[in-house]
Amino acid sequence: MLQYILILLCLPPLCAVLALTGRFDNNLLHWLHRLTATAVGVCLALLAAKFDAAVPYVDDYFYVDALSLWVLIIITTLYVAASWTARSYLTREERCGVLKGEQLQTGRYFALMQLFCWTMFIVLLVKNLGLMWVAIEATTLISALLISFKFTRAALEATWKYIMVCTVGICLALLGTLVLYYAQIAALGTNNPLSWVFLHQHADALDPALTKLALLFLVIGYGTKAGMAPMHTWLPDAYAEAPSLTSGMLSGALCSCAIYVLLRNLVILLPTAGSAMMSSMLMFFAVLTVAVAVPFVVVQRDVKRILAYSSMENIGIMVAGIGVFSALSIKAVMLHMYSHAMIKFVLFYIAGTIIQEYQTRNMMRIHGMIKDVPHTAAFWLTGMLGILGLPPMGLFFSKFYIMSALFKEGHWLAGSLLIVLLAGVLIGILYHGMRMLCGEAQRQPLGDLLGAVDVPVLALLLIFTCIVGVGFENLPWLNNLLNHAVHVIGG
Amino acid sequence: MEYLVVSLMFIVFLQTRFMELRRATLCLAVQSALIAAACLVVGLSHGGGLHGWLPGILTIAVKVLFIPYAILRTVKGLRDEREIVSDINVNYSTAVAASSLALGYMVIDGLLPQAEGRDILATSMFMIMTGLTLIVMRSRAIMQMIGLITMENGIYLLGLIMTEGLPLIIELGIFLDVLIAVVILVILTSRLRLSFRTTDTNVLDKLKG
Repeated sequence: MLQYILILLCLPPLCAVLALTGRFDNNLLHWLHRLTATAVGVCLALLAAKFDAAVPYVDDYFYVDALSLWVLIIITTLYVAASWTARSYLTREERCGVLKGEQLQTGRYFALMQLFCWTMFIVLLVKNLGLMWVAIEATTLISALLISFKFTRAALEATWKYIMVCTVGICLALLGTLVLYYAQIAALGTNNPLSWVFLHQHADALDPALTKLALLFLVIGYGTKAGMAPMHTWLPDAYAEAPSLTSGMLSGALCSCAIYVLLRNLVILLPTAGSAMMSSMLMFFAVLTVAVAVPFVVVQRDVKRILAYSSMENIGIMVAGIGVFSALSIKAVMLHMYSHAMIKFVLFYIAGTIIQEYQTRNMMRIHGMIKDVPHTAAFWLTGMLGILGLPPMGLFFSKFYIMSALFKEGHWLAGSLLIVLLAGVLIGILYHGMRMLCGEAQRQPLGDLLGAVDVPVLALLLIFTCIVGVGFENLPWLNNLLNHAVHVIGG
Repeated sequence: MEYLVVSLMFIVFLQTRFMELRRATLCLAVQSALIAAACLVVGLSHGGGLHGWLPGILTIAVKVLFIPYAILRTVKGLRDEREIVSDINVNYSTAVAASSLALGYMVIDGLLPQAEGRDILATSMFMIMTGLTLIVMRSRAIMQMIGLITMENGIYLLGLIMTEGLPLIIELGIFLDVLIAVVILVILTSRLRLSFRTTDTNVLDKLKG
């Protein structure tokens, strides 16, 4: 087990260092990037095959249980997909994207991407809540360089906002972690400082007043990182201005990471802080996040910003699911995390392609995609239906379960509000999406630019969400993993 | 320790008064030096060892020497050295700092009444809030950076007093994060200067809706 974890943690930085040396030409770099990601994927598959969901792996520094394995699977899938599609994306970007005519620093891009995924792996593998904080802060810093990759004015603005808002938020999370450590010292002594396993076993002994304080800071801190309103101001800018591959990773992987850390901390705090406070707080933030996103989705002009606001809507739904904190809702949140990550990655990738094809990000100037760029249009349509939660895509099931859990546990007000707001999102996205797909083109695209490798990768991601969403109960291994993840969280 | 607390409060108040970037940066260096002193005092009083002196030495290396040096190097490259704010604004931020000191005492008395070291806990709350104020009220990139580090110093001090310091490996991680954060912010600041010909973040208002 340990050897797999070490391979997982050694390969990406090794690849990053090699990419930074600048000794490789572009072709070799692309293959290095792809092979590293694939090797990490294979390594994770071996780890998952050996892993018994009922018996978590613990040692001095690392800890893997069903929950972390599930999020690891999500992130590694995106990592592999991003590395296989990177080549055609970057070539197109050089040919007809923002970087036209510039020497693209492929090495720098790959190094940053590898380091970004590496920091997320650290978040998911470490046992210690303090080190988790350190790794989350590191993801912010590395992804800041990825967002500002093009160093255009807009990218600089987005990065500055991102780094300022997120770092302040994460500092508050550090404050929460300190309060938690203080509570641990007061109740349990200085042994096993901030170890998640130890705290999990002795969660009942902590002082309720302190855990409530820690809960407040941690929810606000990691909530900022996940993009909960009203700390979301960085989110649309960062998602829209980053290169599209990065946007997909930010929306799918980083957001899942933030929610993972939030869940880990909640498990420690809930037994003493009480679920009533947590529930009402998260429910409030959830409804607020969706409510803030809806008007911006409806009046949006920018094809990537509309996806960013739709990410906020999905984060809101996940937070609502965590707020309910029943077995059904937590399992649905796990599914939602997966489906959202896959579909959002595809959508951001396709949005990037559309921008390259039409040379504009204004949705009002794009029409007739079905006729002119059928491949892109097919993915755009499927992805859109997926993100809106239409069957048989995975999000339909997870949204449905979260909603039913809301009503089952008696959160009538939040549930009804969410349904109304979700209808607004549906109208907004369908309206804009359909306008782009149908009608007569006023502006001829450069052609259907989707590459030969892109189509199978993106199609596979979409098919995975269908399979997982529809059939998770009939796939014994998966169902077992999810049940144990729910058991770890204790819904 | 009492002298340390008083001089720290004084320095943080002073921090809100400076508009000139060079002096503000030097003030930040003094502030970090005081934090390092507190760190060494606390560390050595709880028995020496690696955990006793390493965080203090690292604070000196990272926050007293490296960060001000990096910021000063950036400041040298800037032509428009003065912050575009009136004197009234400075007085506002000092007033906010004063009220956040009172608020800090109230928060500490309300939340941790039995904790020892009331003054220094209140000072660290004061530093966190002043750092936030600086980020919100100042518009120049470097001033916001200074606010961020002030806030980080406050949290560090709070952790130092409340828990006698986090475990060593976590502290090392936090130092590394602060270091990388400053390097990245310095890169971004010089890029801002190249792209916008100013480091005033008020020009960053194009992305909306």
